[in-house]
Amino acid sequence: MKNATGAARSPFSSGRGINSLNNRLFTAFVWSASAAMVLFILALLYLILQKGLPTLTWDFILGLPSEIEEGGGIGPALFNSFYMLLISLFIAVPLGMAAGIYLAEFAPDNKLIGFVRICVEGLASVPSIIFGLFGIALFVEMFQIGLTILGGAVSLAFLNLPVMTRVTEESIRAVPGELKQASFALGATHLQTIRRVLVPSAINGLVTGICLIAGRAFGESAVIILTAGVTTSGEMWDFNLLSPGETLAVHLWYVQSEAIVPDAVSISDKAAAVLVFVILLFNVLFRIPLWIKERRSR
Amino acid sequence: MKWFKSLSVAALAIALVSTSVSVAGAASDLKGKIVINGSSALLPLTLQAANEFKKLHPKVKISASAAGSITGPQSVRKGIADIGAVDWDASQDVPGFKKFDGQVAHKVAIIPFAAVVNKNVKVDDLTTKQLQDIFSGKVTNWKDVGGEDADIIVVNRAFGSGTRVNFQMKALQGTEFISKGSNYKEVKSSGDMKTAVETTPNAIGYIDLVYVTSNMKALKINKIAPTEANVVNGTYKVWGYGYYMTKGKPDGATKAFIEYIQSAKFQNGSLKKLKFIPISALK
Amino acid sequence: MQLDTSARPSIAGPNASELGGSIKAGSGKSFDRKNRLLFYNRFFKLACIASAVFVCLILFGILFLMFRTGVLTFRDVSPMTFFFSTDWTPEDDRYGAFVFIFGTFALTLLTLLISVPLSVVIAVFLAEVAPTWLRNLLRPVLDLLVGIPSVVYGFLGLTILIPLLRDITGTNMGDGILAAAIVLTIMVLPTISRVSDDAISAVPRKYRDASYALGATRFQTIFKVTIPAARSGILYGVILGMARAIGETMAVVMVIGNTPQLADALFKPTSVLTSNIVMQIANVPFDSTWNNALYMMGFLLLVISLLMIVLVRLLQRKGAHS
Repeated sequence: MKNATGAARSPFSSGRGINSLNNRLFTAFVWSASAAMVLFILALLYLILQKGLPTLTWDFILGLPSEIEEGGGIGPALFNSFYMLLISLFIAVPLGMAAGIYLAEFAPDNKLIGFVRICVEGLASVPSIIFGLFGIALFVEMFQIGLTILGGAVSLAFLNLPVMTRVTEESIRAVPGELKQASFALGATHLQTIRRVLVPSAINGLVTGICLIAGRAFGESAVIILTAGVTTSGEMWDFNLLSPGETLAVHLWYVQSEAIVPDAVSISDKAAAVLVFVILLFNVLFRIPLWIKERRSR
Repeated sequence: MKWFKSLSVAALAIALVSTSVSVAGAASDLKGKIVINGSSALLPLTLQAANEFKKLHPKVKISASAAGSITGPQSVRKGIADIGAVDWDASQDVPGFKKFDGQVAHKVAIIPFAAVVNKNVKVDDLTTKQLQDIFSGKVTNWKDVGGEDADIIVVNRAFGSGTRVNFQMKALQGTEFISKGSNYKEVKSSGDMKTAVETTPNAIGYIDLVYVTSNMKALKINKIAPTEANVVNGTYKVWGYGYYMTKGKPDGATKAFIEYIQSAKFQNGSLKKLKFIPISALK
Repeated sequence: MQLDTSARPSIAGPNASELGGSIKAGSGKSFDRKNRLLFYNRFFKLACIASAVFVCLILFGILFLMFRTGVLTFRDVSPMTFFFSTDWTPEDDRYGAFVFIFGTFALTLLTLLISVPLSVVIAVFLAEVAPTWLRNLLRPVLDLLVGIPSVVYGFLGLTILIPLLRDITGTNMGDGILAAAIVLTIMVLPTISRVSDDAISAVPRKYRDASYALGATRFQTIFKVTIPAARSGILYGVILGMARAIGETMAVVMVIGNTPQLADALFKPTSVLTSNIVMQIANVPFDSTWNNALYMMGFLLLVISLLMIVLVRLLQRKGAHS
């Protein structure tokens, strides 16, 4: 009898034991694996910042690059980064928002629009280097203006346009229907509803989207190498759209693998730190107000 | 946005003031934009000349980059660059490369090239035969040429490099390079070559003398050291002419720049300091 | 509109006899205003349509241009040679792109092999295991990592990973698809894990409750119930990561070695479609077979990435049906 119950219980209890053991092991594994991965990535970021930031000086940030001697700066490259970023946002944000609003608000629900949506999604997933090739074919081969800030910025805008479109469409769609209906009920036109109700309500998603494409434009390198070249005009504050437009991201690659300056290692350490720092800054500047706003509205 | 506006206005103001000051300082009216691309072996020379030239003619903008010799005349043909730097005379057919029609070649310097190894390599001196064996993949271990027991990492310039053409013709006497293997790597430019040889233990490559730093070692070839003196006295054979290619006859700023780089003052001054050799040294 | 409101009080001033006039003026204005609003509305809609059309035009422009230039390759090179020959020696007119096509697929596969299990573990951690405060901290951090420029990852790979690999494995160079796959893994990890995290979080609570009610442990619930239920969402994340891995250029260029030889070993300098295009495009004349072959490789990349989007669409439709 005793034996029988033991036999009967043992498979049950041992199975349970294994299960709970498994469960515990699993929890421990998930914890440690995730902690390891996240810590690893954060350590990498910390490493970049820690290597570069403490030795940063304004001379380096605003200085002219040097090709042979030590002590070159990143001024023109950094300036080009921001300049091209602004031009590309200037093109991509209005166009992308308009296209997104169309898809969310005006577009009829038919096969053609479904196809347009696939196009936008497809374009969003096209590898950046393809936009670079497109930029070469357009600006260098067709318009023959060579490698310029203009060509780079427009190619960047093309790269970001579909992302902006998708983000806009999604955030506008996410606005509750009642808000829109209430606005219509007050006699507002469609345009007024979009301007005064939909866009302000969707602002959270829109800003996140703009932040996303700004970061992408700031850090993009393949497109710039192909369409804006790997040199700057060698002066600070060069607003000429037809100057060559090496950006900071490109400069990092160029210094690390092509340049002959003796302090290439320290320049690239610092350039990488600036690059990461600016991206972090974008996120902090744009997103923290949104988080605070969200907290308040709760 | 407001801060950006005021910032850019301030920037513009600074730019205006500084240009007007420098214009007042120099009496040159030469204006224009010169874009230079091509040989990375010539890049240090180009940049040095550009710096000096910009001091004389502040209104001229020069931007120079390098991605291998063939890019030079290629960019000139595409209209991306005004000057294409190249390590062979691209206005004529040479083995492996067709001539570029309508381009004019301007001889600017003599470039000595050197075989270089990573600092950990114990070998100082190789014969032509040994170099041929290493770069064609017949010898794969340093111990076979008098070094330690370690695999030889061959770093080669990609096709289109003028350094590669010159090195193959003059140091290897036309021997074909290996093109495959896990100890073989191709790099795009001289800077790339420098990084690869400096950071990869047991690596061997070749580069122009200007780029040789204290982090790598230039080899003697057949017991002759790669120095300017040995090139001039004719014992060290691995060198080539550097050319600037232009679309037709150059004019304006481009012409002035080429004239500056060919001037005796530059050739015997900065050019020599950079370990290039004036064209006039060899006749 | 602002003009109207500011004008109204002055018209409806103290003088009562002008009251009727003001109504007349007001009605006239409001008629104008209606027209104007209608015009604005119509104009705005047109502008929106034009923008949407423009986005589509870019895609077709790119497709057309890549195809038109790329297809010229086959004037001089047979498709058999282009797709299946491993001999890429453009200087001798031998254009076999198999090395790069194979390299791209091998690299992507290797990346997914490393990154998918890791990402799913992180996603499970975020969605099921982590306490709320940690979850709220980690999600923005992962979102932020997606935005780190790819050159920075390439730079880290070049300066930290490759020397490390050299030391650990004793190989001579360290460049190759393993190094590239590790760098890409770090890059796609945040993407895949965040999308999977969202998918797992979206699994209805009742599934889990039912599973626990049946006596299943958390481990069993997650593996037998939650992950299968979130399968299509996770797959979506994997495809997004895959698209990023296939199209990534500069981070790969910095660690892969850029030598056109078949990637038949983990440590061997090799090249993929993207890295080969960016390294060689500056060296080639327009209208040469070499140029066309590079565009053909670009077209291949384009087709692969578009196919993946169609795949995602099909998955979503399937998910919607079930």
